Amino acid sequence: MELSQIFTAAFVVTWLAAALGLAGPVLLASLGEIFGERSGVLNIGIEGTMLLGALASFLVTFYTGSPWLGLTGALATGVLVALLLAWMYVTVRASQVVVGIVFNTLALGLASYGYRLAMGGQTQVQKIPMFGPVYLPGLSDLPALGPILFEHSVMFYLTAALVLAAGYLLYRTRFGLNLRAVGENPRAADTAGISVVRMRYAGVLFSGATAGMAGAYLVLAQLGIFRDNIIAGRGFIALAIVIFGRWNPYLAAAAAVIFGIADALQLSLQIFQLDLPAQLLLSLPYLLTILAMSGLLGRSLSPTALMTPYTKD
Amino acid sequence: MAPLLELRNITKQFPGVLADDRVSLTVEAGQIHALLGENGAGKSTLMHILYGLYRADAGEILLEGQPLQLHSPADAIAHGIGMIHQDFMLIPRFSVVENVVIGLQEGGPQLDLRSAAVRLSDLARQYGLAVDPEARVEHLSVGVQQRVEILKLLYRHARLLILDEPTGVLTPQETEGLFAVLRRLAAQGHAVLLITHKLHEVIDVADQVTVLRDGRVIGSLPARQSSARQLARMMVGREVTLRVDKPAQQTGPPLLQITDLRVRGDNGQPKVRGVTLTVHGGEILGLAGVDGNGQSELAEALMGLRPVEAGQVTLAKKDLTRHSPAARRASHLGYIPADRRQVGSIGPLSIAYNAVLGTLRRYTTWGGLFLNQGQIDRHARHLVNEFDVRTPSIHFEAGKLSGGNLQKVVLGRELLARPTALVVEQPTRGLDVGATEYVHRQLLAERSRGAALLLISAELEEILALSDRIAVLYQGEIMGVLTAGTQDPNSQIELLGLMMAGSPLASLSNLHTPGRSDGPHG
Repeated sequence: MELSQIFTAAFVVTWLAAALGLAGPVLLASLGEIFGERSGVLNIGIEGTMLLGALASFLVTFYTGSPWLGLTGALATGVLVALLLAWMYVTVRASQVVVGIVFNTLALGLASYGYRLAMGGQTQVQKIPMFGPVYLPGLSDLPALGPILFEHSVMFYLTAALVLAAGYLLYRTRFGLNLRAVGENPRAADTAGISVVRMRYAGVLFSGATAGMAGAYLVLAQLGIFRDNIIAGRGFIALAIVIFGRWNPYLAAAAAVIFGIADALQLSLQIFQLDLPAQLLLSLPYLLTILAMSGLLGRSLSPTALMTPYTKD
Repeated sequence: MAPLLELRNITKQFPGVLADDRVSLTVEAGQIHALLGENGAGKSTLMHILYGLYRADAGEILLEGQPLQLHSPADAIAHGIGMIHQDFMLIPRFSVVENVVIGLQEGGPQLDLRSAAVRLSDLARQYGLAVDPEARVEHLSVGVQQRVEILKLLYRHARLLILDEPTGVLTPQETEGLFAVLRRLAAQGHAVLLITHKLHEVIDVADQVTVLRDGRVIGSLPARQSSARQLARMMVGREVTLRVDKPAQQTGPPLLQITDLRVRGDNGQPKVRGVTLTVHGGEILGLAGVDGNGQSELAEALMGLRPVEAGQVTLAKKDLTRHSPAARRASHLGYIPADRRQVGSIGPLSIAYNAVLGTLRRYTTWGGLFLNQGQIDRHARHLVNEFDVRTPSIHFEAGKLSGGNLQKVVLGRELLARPTALVVEQPTRGLDVGATEYVHRQLLAERSRGAALLLISAELEEILALSDRIAVLYQGEIMGVLTAGTQDPNSQIELLGLMMAGSPLASLSNLHTPGRSDGPHG
């Protein structure tokens, strides 16, 4: 098949619409992670937090029939889990990398066990009610732009709204300035009367909250089921997007869309049975991340005190 | 009227040390009060108590006659007590105004940087502290960063400003500028508490001076009625010689030669940009300059701890440019690093092992397979006796020694190896007067022995006291080389200060001609 036959207008529209859908969950997770890292804590545990959030949203929705309650359950789970992680990172001052990795492994086992415990009797895959596409009169009917931007689920618009909220919070409020100060120079922040501990807890709780909701995004807006490998590394992609997006919510949104475009292309091309290895396309966002970190795409400076526990004297 | 601040019988005990013993102190509004003392005299502890970081075991703090309980720095600043630390508490990537408003509560959750910048500019005008509110702090010179710190406190309505060793990183001219600002602050009714160990600063700027030794107040007197000699005696507890005797001597052949050396810093930016220097046998070449102008990078490159981008380093005509640190040491290039705890020694190891670091191979049997413990101990005992290291045993952990004693171990290790040339970096930083004297005597003894010494120091007084010639490093370049003692001390200091601020000696030739050294190749 010729490439020109594939890249029709209809294909591009479907492709970009799918790209934005795929970008959603990783972007949502990266938004909170930005706050964690800006406060100086690298929360690698978002992969596991997403998994537990996904399970919570599935179970709550399964038993109540309400995806909104499911989303709330995922949010609560994310915050609860983050509280434990924040205690390890900030109060105990354990190695952030080790805690994050060990927690992800633990979450894998916990989720798998929890699902079987709750759904043990069922042999076939259970489906739950989901968030459908939102129809926006006028906007959704626009040619090309309508299907690309305005036929998504409520989770997508929530994420988009959170991008703006995160940008505002980080750059236009005292809270945001103080949080960034803690991630740059905790001692200076401390002497200026900012509580380093409180800010870092806040940062980690934010990352847990959005990671939990990102897990729910996958279940409630895209798949409608739960399975053990549902996250499949999207938490790690979110970490990469934070770096690629230079710890800035707006740039992270752009980075997530680039990732979504590569991911959607790779999925569509599989259907066309091209000789092009799909894995190569799938590796594009990771390649971009490595390039971003190597400084080849301009300097990208992480928060100065990232991963450095703080002690008074 | 009650004084602005009064400390009454402040006492603070740490395990094994009585840091402050019934310290009383009175600071009036409109006064610059100097707190003078050596390292370990109890100045820092007292300031930490006053700033809410530590709680005193006994005694009280009175602010305008009212007893005061301080639980945190935020508490202190809320009561109008502000502190400027030795290492600035600024965030390099933030703008000036962002640095000023961090941590403030007033004005609701929304950040209003524009009106903060307006208020900041007003304050800056009022106190003559010109600074651009939008500038990023990392682009400002150290002197201007210090202004930002002062503005940060004034913005918070501080009435008492505590400055901890504020001149350590300033050029002489910047120091003068700071003192002018402090006088203006005092004239406008603020109180300034200046913590220092530099005698001349006290006499230059303070109204009142309180001397602290071993945690006790030795005396408090008007600065104008005091002399450097008297203050030194009070601070140290005995007569001190403020000048070291430097015998005149003929310099020998060129030993350490640095030619057009270029070195990059940690972030890849050029830090040493074409330095050419020659150090002769029996000579101390002082390298002056404000901290951070490439001194550390130069020293590390000389020792092989940092790659050389271009240029050459030779020792007694032998090219060492690409040699490993071990090879350089084997060629008798010695090194006294600025950071004696992290670079100069290995803290958890005993004095004995630290004494043979780098030469361990000489103390082994079976072709380097086993340590010859007896030989190591003998060498360490020799070092401890020779260099007067006060320690219970040679098996004592080096990291638990005081700064002065640890420096003697490092000094002893390097000097017993009989170096041809010695790179000495900030050798007396943080040492008391006694240890400083000792280090200076040892360095002069090395000079008499005929070694070539490159002395890198941010303390201009140290450079002036020891050096035969003085080079000034500014942003990685040599501004010029002076021969010490060829003109009157004041004009020499002025000249060095201008060079430290970036004026090449050649451009200053109308200020002075005698004593100019023989060009950059010196």
